[in-house]
Amino acid sequence: MALLEVDDIEVRYGAIRALKGVSFDVEEGEVVALLGANGAGKTTTQKTVSGMMRPALGEIRFDGERIDGVPAHTLIHRGICHVPEGRRVFPRMSVKENLEMGAFRFKRPDKQVLDHVMELFPRLQERITQFAGTLSGGEQQMLAIGRALMGKPRLLLLDEPSMGLAPLIVQQIFEIVREINGEGVTVLIVEQNAAQALALANRGYVLETGEVVLSGSGKDLLADDRVRAAYLGEEIA
Amino acid sequence: MSTYTDVTKGGGQSRRSDAAEARIALAKRFAGCMFLAFVLALMIGTQEGTQDDFGYAFRKSVFAPRIGIFALIGVAVFLAVTFWPRIVPYLSRAGVRPLAAGALTVVVSFTLLNWTDSTDLNNGKFGGLRPAAAQTGGIDPVARLFFGSAFSLTPWLLLLIVVALVAAAIRFEDSSTLGYVGGGLAIVFGIWAQYAQSAVRSFLDYPDHSTGAGVALLGFVTIGVSGIVVARSHGKADSGGFFQRVYDWRPGMPLVALGAVVGLVGLFSAAWFSPTDRNAGIGLTSTMFHGTGLSGFSAAYLAWLAYVLFFATLILAGAASYLRHHLLGWVAAGLGVVSLLVTLYVMHDFSGLAAQSKFDGATGAWDNLGTGGWMLCGALTVLAGAGYLVARHEQVEVPDAAPGVSSDAALAAGSKLGPALLVVIIASALFFPPTATQFWQTVLVTEIGIYVLLAIGLNVVVGWAGLLDLGFIAFYAIGSYTTAYLTGRLPVKPPSFLELTPLAAIPFAIVICLVAGVLLGAPTLRLRGDYLAIVTLGFGEIIRVVANNSTPVTNGSRGAFNIPPPEIHIGPLDIKWGDNVLGYWYLLLVFVVIVVLLFNRLEHSRLGRAWAAIREDEVAAQATGINTVRVKLLAFAIGASTSGVAGVYFASQIGSFTPENFILNNSILVVAYVVFGGMGSLPGAMAGAAVLTWLPEFLRDQVPAEDRQMWIGAVILLMMIFRPAGLIPARRRRAELGGLDKKDSSETTAVPAGEGM
Repeated sequence: MALLEVDDIEVRYGAIRALKGVSFDVEEGEVVALLGANGAGKTTTQKTVSGMMRPALGEIRFDGERIDGVPAHTLIHRGICHVPEGRRVFPRMSVKENLEMGAFRFKRPDKQVLDHVMELFPRLQERITQFAGTLSGGEQQMLAIGRALMGKPRLLLLDEPSMGLAPLIVQQIFEIVREINGEGVTVLIVEQNAAQALALANRGYVLETGEVVLSGSGKDLLADDRVRAAYLGEEIA
Repeated sequence: MSTYTDVTKGGGQSRRSDAAEARIALAKRFAGCMFLAFVLALMIGTQEGTQDDFGYAFRKSVFAPRIGIFALIGVAVFLAVTFWPRIVPYLSRAGVRPLAAGALTVVVSFTLLNWTDSTDLNNGKFGGLRPAAAQTGGIDPVARLFFGSAFSLTPWLLLLIVVALVAAAIRFEDSSTLGYVGGGLAIVFGIWAQYAQSAVRSFLDYPDHSTGAGVALLGFVTIGVSGIVVARSHGKADSGGFFQRVYDWRPGMPLVALGAVVGLVGLFSAAWFSPTDRNAGIGLTSTMFHGTGLSGFSAAYLAWLAYVLFFATLILAGAASYLRHHLLGWVAAGLGVVSLLVTLYVMHDFSGLAAQSKFDGATGAWDNLGTGGWMLCGALTVLAGAGYLVARHEQVEVPDAAPGVSSDAALAAGSKLGPALLVVIIASALFFPPTATQFWQTVLVTEIGIYVLLAIGLNVVVGWAGLLDLGFIAFYAIGSYTTAYLTGRLPVKPPSFLELTPLAAIPFAIVICLVAGVLLGAPTLRLRGDYLAIVTLGFGEIIRVVANNSTPVTNGSRGAFNIPPPEIHIGPLDIKWGDNVLGYWYLLLVFVVIVVLLFNRLEHSRLGRAWAAIREDEVAAQATGINTVRVKLLAFAIGASTSGVAGVYFASQIGSFTPENFILNNSILVVAYVVFGGMGSLPGAMAGAAVLTWLPEFLRDQVPAEDRQMWIGAVILLMMIFRPAGLIPARRRRAELGGLDKKDSSETTAVPAGEGM
């Protein structure tokens, strides 16, 4: 049984069907990438998994239990931590306060986890008392991921972690995601940067206008002509 | 600007036209300043004209010698603006800012404040009192000299002399003598002013609450301190936080100094007992009660014990502060509290005796007391506080963080003066109101106190949770109507077992307001910013209109009346509030203290952090596991119930109200108070409400009634220009509006714009 099973979900914004029956699954310990162009439904899928939106039809199961329609603040107690699109750190809280907010579901932040996050992101240690709003984009992304780790996730949802960042920083961030995954955290990542994401992911799904059009292992997808044409900007020979 | 074409034509011409442009700009600026002065002269002038003489007011304000003062103001503003870059470095020198503050305080005392309550002398202002006192033979000659029997401008001249001396000491950096002389003279002059006023008071023998001389003394002492600072700093360009440095040197010392000044004035200058036509200092009070059956203890207190207790406390507190001795600190605090209780007992004793024996129209215990006893009480509280601070003070080295970088360290540094300030605020909240006039006591109880309570409540909603609520006054109305219902003053009567006294109505009001807050919140909290504001505004109006129109239930536009005053009957405690305004003040103080203590805990609790997170970013807050709906509802409900408590208090204090008490304007005022004070800052919201409710009442005496709102508007504008984050800004907002862009660390410094309020 997979850790996360998404079964034929349909999500609507008013009359518009954003997802028209999306199904996929994520095994424990995997990194799975959701690819697609703007408006394909990647972020909607992730928001639905994290409980910020509810599907009109279909089922989502986490660890075998249905979680569709369960609100986000409850889901986090089962270990689903979401790093929302656009980083969304708390600008007028210090880095430390931001990290502590990540552990809001516990009575008290776990010191060990905090130390571990500091190891993963030494930059955050340097800026620990600074307001998060004064950090650079890359540092904010690191903080957003660190904050999610403070909630001790089993499944980490990353929404476009590379958005608006310099290539070097993107590299660093993907390295760290790999490291986190190596520690046993399952990762579901939404990306437009297909090459980076597929190099990292065990498996990937390609979404197009609310439907899964392609799926396979990261390597296969990277080699797939259609993916190369659509997302890597290569001409088909 | 056509500098580009000028440059191509040739350097010489360009330079000439630049100079010409600069001259024109200067001339424009000068004209602007003079025009400003002219408008000011018109504004602060006679307002009334007569039917057949339309130019009367104009001539009175402009064609009079006083126009010279305004012209001087204009020139001064012009000079200040023109030479601002050269003035700025001067401003940061040691002593400049205290000097300016002190001089301004004295000027305020000489122009705006009352020097006597006796209405015979031109409103009791200094300008009216001075010539009269200077010519009155019966006044002590030393005092008359102060008012200027020799030279008609003496007090102003004194001020000028000390300011000039201290300013010269600042200018010529190596002369510490000038600083000492100027500072010393200033302190002497301050005491002289105080002495002169007490001489006038004992001459007039009229019960007196005027603050003029006291404020002048404070101003002169501030000038004196600045002089001494200058003399000791030897020209070091650093005046950053004078009190902070004194505090770092010896915590408690600023408090000891304040306690000494207030206590000395209270013991030696102020009146202790002032029934009709009488103003007796402590010595005279002692002789007056000789042989009237005053208890031996009280008689001893008035004769000598008061001095002993005060000086013992002063010396102990001073020694404890100087030596930083914990045990001595505890002893000083203990002695201070004991002396305070003894003083209160004696005051109650002799004022009660006076009333019993119909002494010169004395009216009752706690009545007819002058300011002296209360000042001594205040001084003892401050000294006890100083002792306590010393006793609790731990020597912690604050890590020296780079300015503006570390928010935690900044918070620690900012709050260091906090406890000392808190002691002063507590002392004045307890013992200043009894010395105020009836008018100010009423203002304190019916305006300032209530709005402070409301602002504390709204601060939870607007400041902490970031939800703009424009219908806040509705909950206040609900609290008031709940009280009216439960005390049986509405057409609909409660069941007999529910007929309660007003204080017992408080829990019901809290519960009803909680429910009302949730009812309003549940459907509307999906809205944000402006939309929420409009819905809450509508809610406020609905409550008022319903109250106005459902006559069978709420008595319609006639409102509720004859609501009984609060009373307490629990075991031995048996208090009934009556006509004495002061009693309500202390009741209100209890409410405010309880609410502040609770909310202070709340701010740093899990809930408080959840509010902060929601205000910062709602999506992220949700992602960290905060139940945003529930947390926002709680903010609404908690704010609402505070408002409800204020409503209960209001209803039973004022006794009658109509729906017109709950108009939209009041909701907006409360929002303005919170914003003015500093959104999200508990002390800020309180200070904002206090200042903005005090100001209109203060201006009542100073400016024509129709201009009042304009002056208030001007103050708010100035505030928003110079302190955009509010009077006492919350840490986070201060960072947002002042500090974030001063960072040296990161590539980008952009902060997402906040979503509305």
